[in-house]
Amino acid sequence: MKRALLAAVLLAALTGCAAPARSEPAPSGDAGIAVNQGLHESLPESIRARGTIRFMTDASYAPMEQFAADGRTIIGFSPDLASALGSVLGVDAEMVQGDFHTALDDLAAGQYDGVLSSMNNTAERRKKADFVDYFAAGTAIIVQRGNPKGVTGFRSLCGLVVSTERGTVQADLLQRSQRACEGNPMTIKLYKTNADALVELRTGRAAAVLNDFPPAAYLASDPRTKAFYQLASTTQYEPGLFGIAFAKDAPELRDAVQAAFDELVRTGVYTELLQRWGIGNGAIASGTMGRV
Amino acid sequence: MRTSARLFAAYAVASLVPIGALGAVMLHGTAVDARRWGQDQGRAQAAVIAEMAVAPALAEADLADGLTTGQRDRLQRATDLAIYNDSVLRLRVRGFNGQVVFSDDGTTAGGISINDPAFRSAAAGHTEVGLLSVPEAPGGQVIRVLQPIVASASGQSVGVLELYLPYEHIAARLREQTAVTYWRLGAGLGLLYLVLGLISWSTTRSLRRYAQRQAHEALHDALTGLPNRAAFHERARAALAQDGEPGAIVLVDLDRFKEVNDTLGHHAGDELLAVVADRLRAGLRPADTLARLGGDEFALILPRSDAATVRRLLDGLSAALATEVVLDGVPLSIEASFGVAHYPEHGRAVDELLRRADAAMYHGKRGSADIVVYAGEDMSHPTQWLVVQAELRHALARDELVLHYQPKVDLRTGEVVGVEALVRWQHPQRGLLPPSEFLPAAEQSGLIEPLTAWVLARALADQAAWTATGRSWGVSVNVSARNLEKPGFADFVSGLLAEHGTPAHRLLLEITETALAADTRRAEQAVLDLTTRGIGISVDDFGTGYTSMSQLRGLPIAEIKIDRTFVRDVLEAPPSQAIVRAIIALAHGLGSRVTAEGIESPEVADWLRRAGCDEAQGYLYSRPVPWAEVGTYEITGAAS
Repeated sequence: MKRALLAAVLLAALTGCAAPARSEPAPSGDAGIAVNQGLHESLPESIRARGTIRFMTDASYAPMEQFAADGRTIIGFSPDLASALGSVLGVDAEMVQGDFHTALDDLAAGQYDGVLSSMNNTAERRKKADFVDYFAAGTAIIVQRGNPKGVTGFRSLCGLVVSTERGTVQADLLQRSQRACEGNPMTIKLYKTNADALVELRTGRAAAVLNDFPPAAYLASDPRTKAFYQLASTTQYEPGLFGIAFAKDAPELRDAVQAAFDELVRTGVYTELLQRWGIGNGAIASGTMGRV
Repeated sequence: MRTSARLFAAYAVASLVPIGALGAVMLHGTAVDARRWGQDQGRAQAAVIAEMAVAPALAEADLADGLTTGQRDRLQRATDLAIYNDSVLRLRVRGFNGQVVFSDDGTTAGGISINDPAFRSAAAGHTEVGLLSVPEAPGGQVIRVLQPIVASASGQSVGVLELYLPYEHIAARLREQTAVTYWRLGAGLGLLYLVLGLISWSTTRSLRRYAQRQAHEALHDALTGLPNRAAFHERARAALAQDGEPGAIVLVDLDRFKEVNDTLGHHAGDELLAVVADRLRAGLRPADTLARLGGDEFALILPRSDAATVRRLLDGLSAALATEVVLDGVPLSIEASFGVAHYPEHGRAVDELLRRADAAMYHGKRGSADIVVYAGEDMSHPTQWLVVQAELRHALARDELVLHYQPKVDLRTGEVVGVEALVRWQHPQRGLLPPSEFLPAAEQSGLIEPLTAWVLARALADQAAWTATGRSWGVSVNVSARNLEKPGFADFVSGLLAEHGTPAHRLLLEITETALAADTRRAEQAVLDLTTRGIGISVDDFGTGYTSMSQLRGLPIAEIKIDRTFVRDVLEAPPSQAIVRAIIALAHGLGSRVTAEGIESPEVADWLRRAGCDEAQGYLYSRPVPWAEVGTYEITGAAS
């Protein structure tokens, strides 16, 4: 309910600020984000013509990105951030549901303008795309409530079934951790969405699921899910940065979004959005550090 | 009775209203609940179908692009059996833009309009359940469920599931449940109504009984259970209203009831009243009415009875009452006075008849007869008595009474030897009244005592006055039985004598025979007390009452007065002559003087003198006059 209300507020803000003509500076918050005309001018011609910037996301990662109760609207921190960025840039921001593990290829193929889906900015991925960092988080281990398999860390995952979403840093982390389980390897199962991985854990076919820390903490504390899940520990493994991915051939778009993000950080909108979704400890000072 | 029935009917109708309202509200609630329950059944079925059959078949599907053959096959397999078993009537998978992606019958036409609010609501994530009328379906109704298709755990809705479910079985189950509910409701409300009815019935019955008891108490005496004064008046009026039927109103008053109350206590008095009531009741006919008017006063209504019948009946009652009764171990004989007024002879109004019966009864109380029939206005009227008594009290205070004296003449010498003091009342309105006008009233009340005291004191004072003028007359004063009954009367008289310095032998107290007879022992004692003090006793009206010879024998009587009735015709009637001679002989034999009353002619005086009578009194010598006038009269014929 609360979330639906928030979504409604944000949607209202989004539509209200879509009009590029509005120029008077507003104090703060989504509703008051002023369009930076210079940044708008710096956007690629195609986006300006369309008036929309399209971000791909896999909406199975609350509270970062998830489906609302209607099953169609995507809500969460990421859509809110996209909307705020769009407001600064003077265009609409659109979130499009897509497959995570093919996201960068689809981006390169031009299906979207960017990927905003809690994607870790890794050296591997930087080969395929440029990133604008917006969040910091490590990986957490989710187990069934009561922790029936006694999972305490990666070492105790050996010999168990562990699932996670395909193409994520968590999938990569599991592969790398396999080396420590000599003779008693983990059974690693990868799924198209994070929700599918969680179904495995919920039904007991998997002993643990790896998630970034914010969605993992959310699962363990949200009233609808906390009866089923808990964190194996509060440790965040291999902390990294989430970045918005842009095609290598669109540096002007990347720079415009970077500038818009910096403005959001400066004006406090970024902090406010983090607080709205209860993930303030993942804040970063500026998006520039992850850029290569 | 009719009122209570009406009251009960009003209660019954009034309680029907809330019962009916309650029933209607509960029936409506049941119907609403049943409808909601039916829809919930459809919703639950649809949810299961969507999650277990449709969603798994549509995993990975993008409805905008249509279904793959595999997906379509899986859906088809999932729905075929349900369709075959009639668990599902129709199933369509719709895209958000309305296209039919899958239908169990293979057609892509039909389905709900995309503009239908139910479809839009389902596209927005809500489940819509509705009951549709479909005449060709069994039962005529189907449940339509529209709900979003959430094909994966991520919660993404991919389309709208349009599902038609049979309502027949649900409806049958609902009808069954509703029928049971209606029966229970009906039975419960009926029971409630019955209880309310019983309560109101019992309440009205209690009220009716209470009212009856109140009515009975209002008209009946609590002690004896007899009708009270109010009821008596009512019944008497009813009896009098029957034209031409003679009857009687009778008042019954117990003699000396007060003594029983005073000596044996109220408890015994109440018991006595109950006994009297029983005896009276037992002696009456069914049509007669016995009522208790209050105290020891009872009243009878004897309808359709002539004077003889009434007399016979009352004689019977009197005899029944006379039977001895034992109260607290004390044997008592009850005597009662009956006052009778016949109607229509003595009046047609209840009050009038009661007054006359009352007068007759008081008359009887003064006399010896216990059953007295009203006999005209000369019967002293108790209500007048009350007035007289009140006035007499004032008269005593204001000194309105005067004493006149009638001389007693010695038949041999012709000298006045004494005077009889006779009280007169100088009434401010009615003039000078003789004793007969007020003495009975005084007798009936305690007034006789102060009255006698006044007369005695005045007579002795007057005597002192005439003695001072050289007259040596003795004085006679009449005293009543009540005076004699009062303890200490003799002391009182001697006190007065001492006060006036009068020798006791100069005072003569005249007592009627009746007074002597009334209470032998006490009167005798009083007479003895007086005579031992030297006071003379005179027996008045001798020959008219019932003086017992044995009484005369034991008492030192100074004087016997022959009643005027024997004197009046003594010249003509040999029996009177015989009686007078006998009384004279008797008196002289007992050592008493004889005085004849009512002498009006010298011949009578002469006859009496020759017969041996000592003294005479009458108009021949003097009417009663103030004492100063006594001596101036010419005594005629005294010595002829």
